[in-house]
Amino acid sequence: MSTMAAPAGNNAASSPLRAATTVGGIAMFARREFRDAIASRWFLLYTLAFTVLAVGVSFLSLSGVGSSGFAGFGRTAAGLLNLIMLIVPLMALTAGAGSIAGERERGTLLYLLAQPVSRTQVLLGKYAGLALALVCSLCIGFGVSAGLLAWRAGGVGVGAYILLIGFTAMLALGMLSVGFVISVVSRRTSVSTGVALFVWLALVFVSDLGLMASSIIFKLRVQEIFGVAILNPLQSFKMGVIVNMNASLDVLGPVGDYASHTFGAVLPWLLASTMVAWIVIPLAAAMVLFVRRQSV
Amino acid sequence: MIKAEHITKRFGPVEAVSDISFELGNGCSLALWGSNGAGKTTLIRCLLGVIRFRGRASIGGIDVQRRGRQARALTGYVPQELAFHDDTRLGSAMGFFAGLRRVPGRRAAESLAAVGLSGHERKRVRDLSGGMKQRLALAIALLSDPPLIVLDEPTSNLDAAGRGEVIETLRHLKASGKTLVFASHRPDEVISLADRVLVLEHGRVERDTTPRGLWPTEKPVQVIRLFLSMAKESEAAGVLREAGHAVHLNGNGLCVAVPRDRKAEPINTLAKHRIEVLNIEVLDDMEIPGVES
Amino acid sequence: MRRGAVAILFVLLGAAAPLAAHPMSDIEALIDAAEPGGVVLIPPGVYEGNLVIDKPVVLDGQEGAIFDGMESGTVVEVLAEGVTIRGCTIRGSGENVTAEPAGIRVLAGHAVIESNTIKDSLFGIDLRQASDSVIRGNRIACKNFEPARRGDGLRLWWSHNCTVEDNTVLSSRDMVFWYSENLHITRNTVKDSRYGLHFMYSHDTVLEGNELTGNSVGIYLMYSNRITLINNRMLSHRGASGYGIGLKDCDDIVVRGNALLANRVGMYIDNSPSSIGATGTVEQNMIAFNEVGLLATPNTHENVFTRNAFMENEEPAESNGRGRLTRNSFSRDGFGNYWSDYTGFDLDGDGIGDVAYEPRSLFHEMLAVEPNLRLFVHSPAQQAIEFTARALPELQPKSVLVDPAPLARPPEIKLASPPADGAAPVMASLAAGLLLASGGLTVVFGRSPGIPVAPGGRE
Repeated sequence: MSTMAAPAGNNAASSPLRAATTVGGIAMFARREFRDAIASRWFLLYTLAFTVLAVGVSFLSLSGVGSSGFAGFGRTAAGLLNLIMLIVPLMALTAGAGSIAGERERGTLLYLLAQPVSRTQVLLGKYAGLALALVCSLCIGFGVSAGLLAWRAGGVGVGAYILLIGFTAMLALGMLSVGFVISVVSRRTSVSTGVALFVWLALVFVSDLGLMASSIIFKLRVQEIFGVAILNPLQSFKMGVIVNMNASLDVLGPVGDYASHTFGAVLPWLLASTMVAWIVIPLAAAMVLFVRRQSV
Repeated sequence: MIKAEHITKRFGPVEAVSDISFELGNGCSLALWGSNGAGKTTLIRCLLGVIRFRGRASIGGIDVQRRGRQARALTGYVPQELAFHDDTRLGSAMGFFAGLRRVPGRRAAESLAAVGLSGHERKRVRDLSGGMKQRLALAIALLSDPPLIVLDEPTSNLDAAGRGEVIETLRHLKASGKTLVFASHRPDEVISLADRVLVLEHGRVERDTTPRGLWPTEKPVQVIRLFLSMAKESEAAGVLREAGHAVHLNGNGLCVAVPRDRKAEPINTLAKHRIEVLNIEVLDDMEIPGVES
Repeated sequence: MRRGAVAILFVLLGAAAPLAAHPMSDIEALIDAAEPGGVVLIPPGVYEGNLVIDKPVVLDGQEGAIFDGMESGTVVEVLAEGVTIRGCTIRGSGENVTAEPAGIRVLAGHAVIESNTIKDSLFGIDLRQASDSVIRGNRIACKNFEPARRGDGLRLWWSHNCTVEDNTVLSSRDMVFWYSENLHITRNTVKDSRYGLHFMYSHDTVLEGNELTGNSVGIYLMYSNRITLINNRMLSHRGASGYGIGLKDCDDIVVRGNALLANRVGMYIDNSPSSIGATGTVEQNMIAFNEVGLLATPNTHENVFTRNAFMENEEPAESNGRGRLTRNSFSRDGFGNYWSDYTGFDLDGDGIGDVAYEPRSLFHEMLAVEPNLRLFVHSPAQQAIEFTARALPELQPKSVLVDPAPLARPPEIKLASPPADGAAPVMASLAAGLLLASGGLTVVFGRSPGIPVAPGGRE
């Protein structure tokens, strides 16, 4: 140790004072985040829970009928919908909420920011890494479930199934974005996780129940109900999946009828773009908040 | 190399750093001296551009707020204690930072070897001793051979042996022409490394001086640290200064420079004023460079 | 998509064997030359124009015999009794809806329409006052219009004692029966149309072994009495109405051994039976995977449901509006139905649940009052409401029906095997692909960015 010399100059050719390129830096953080995520307990737990429940739902909804081939994916989807709407936002929100706040709490964030990287790179890199990890986790759950469907029910509804995966991935990314917003402004993980759980509760239960209550109390019209409901990414997700499976939202009663007839063929795109907005807008907000932040 | 103009940083109502300006040339080393809460750490974070502040700071002519990424590419940073994911293996941590600084993996291996950590690549960060962690931090800071090294109390968590190693390494770096900026509350560090000392109090530059200016004696001096009850510290400092001692409050006891043969004098002085000394620590025997005995 | 492929196939076939075009008068000459009751062989070729048959002959189309109406009027019109048309391809009727142009229109009885292919016609086969006819083994696809502009694939009007069997109707409006009695409707297939089998004021008929898939409604009976539905299969009717079987004001209907699968509503009953003393019987049907197994208007009464299997329906039974279905019997002779969501038990092992099946759903109770809330089905909020209702018994609504003798095990109901769709390998490869993707991601991105170990490094 005593002979710790200044680094020799033999690496001058590699121009050592460059910072990583913007994309290169993001990729570095993304890989690190992905690696940390898939090695973490929460990832294993969520993946296991999601897979077991997804397979359980698929199995139960197909069991007991010799003619399960008729049902195909349709019946399984209904069960999966509920499951996805409960678990996936929870997974993504808490993962996002822990991301920046966790680094901040451990003190690692300061050290990372003291490297030749920008805050945008850190944020986007972490986002990409976690997004990839979430998609990976969903792939496992959906993959095993698809295997079961292929075995028990044939390939009925394979297109709808793929769209379900796509919409679920969008839901996960959207909720991850929201989690990042929470994380960026939180000093401690306990706080950000708490807020994330609160947001989860609000999106999953409170907003729907609130909308139900107000539609009864204020006698809301269908277009008003639809307009408010579509703001909730979970409702957009659900409607998106159903409209892709049934080609219309008639199963959702007068409100669905209204949506199908007003928007027609545009409806799936409208719903998909709501989901995309839930990915992009919170992520942009998280980025602005993080870059503008006065302290670490 | 580094230039600060009117750096001011507020945290809510508290002004942690007020209007600090200085300039430091290539190859110089600057110590930031002051008690805890004087603003040393905040100033370092400002200089690195990791927090936003009013005023301007530049490294090698590059504004740290506008082009922080490029400015930090010229800088190696050693924190008080390396904070990195505890589960990460040393090799993969080095690989990660090498990637961020776009240096080849070979260079990371060399850097590890240079701090004597070769062969520990498979160890996890949590299993490293404090000294090893600081050496790892140094290895990371030196990955791209940057001209400026910024250190935030790099030895405060180390034992005497570890401290010696780190200081020795830093002396080598200084000798090889690196510019150093470091926060410290250890006179021995300051005396052996700094060309210049900024004394900070309440976020302001109290004095811009040299180690010799801080401890103005022509005789070989020794620094002793006196531990008192917190409430008495500022009173005691006043008493000792009146008695002609160089005194520095640094939040971790009172540092007093005394001639080697009169170490008990400050204690006696305090005793006269009925200030009880709880403990005393004699810091390493250290000669102020350039001071003949 | 499939229709496009079929069209391309036809184009290809046409290109492969260009058939000579002849005027329809060639056929008229052949018919004129034939004895009454004689067989007229139609050689291959395209016969352009409209044909009217006014004497009893057998038109026997050879392979490649095509009648093309050239987009005008009805292609083949039968005015005489006892005409047989078989093996012909008939295409290109007019489009004028008010004139109802058809591929084949029969205006006299005792006709046999057999093994023809009818395409690109507004109406397919149209029988008016043509009793004692047989319509067998025809393939009918109507003009490729949007659903609202299509004509009926097969229509019987005032035509009694007919047999309609083994026909296939694709992408049409209805296979519809008006004022026609004592029919035998067997083994027909209707896909992607509006109403698979539609009865209006038509009584005393048996529908057996028909296959209805992806229509708006599978079998819709209106104002028709004494009809028996046996062993039909209604699959994937998912539109706004989306009923496997719909009954409106029908008396003495028997529904036995049918499979109602993956429809929006398995069976919809609106005010049937409607006459005093009439009944309805629904037994041994498989009602599975529907959004709603049984939907009935609250005024529905006097139906008997026994030994049916209600399997994995999102909602087994629902009242369409305020009210309950308790004026119907859900058991007969001590045998109720199997309900896959039955949570009771069968301690004595007699195959009958020891407690009655009484489904209660606060959410569905709310739906009856506030239909807009249906938007929230399939959501955790719905589960939350049901959970609350279970936790707070005072919120529990009345059960929509009572089955006093629920079956403990699903009754054995024989169903034909599902259509092989060849997509199972696709689903299987999707499964494999997803798992491989996650594995691949882990391998590619999960690798640590290692560094070379310095020479002389210690272990």
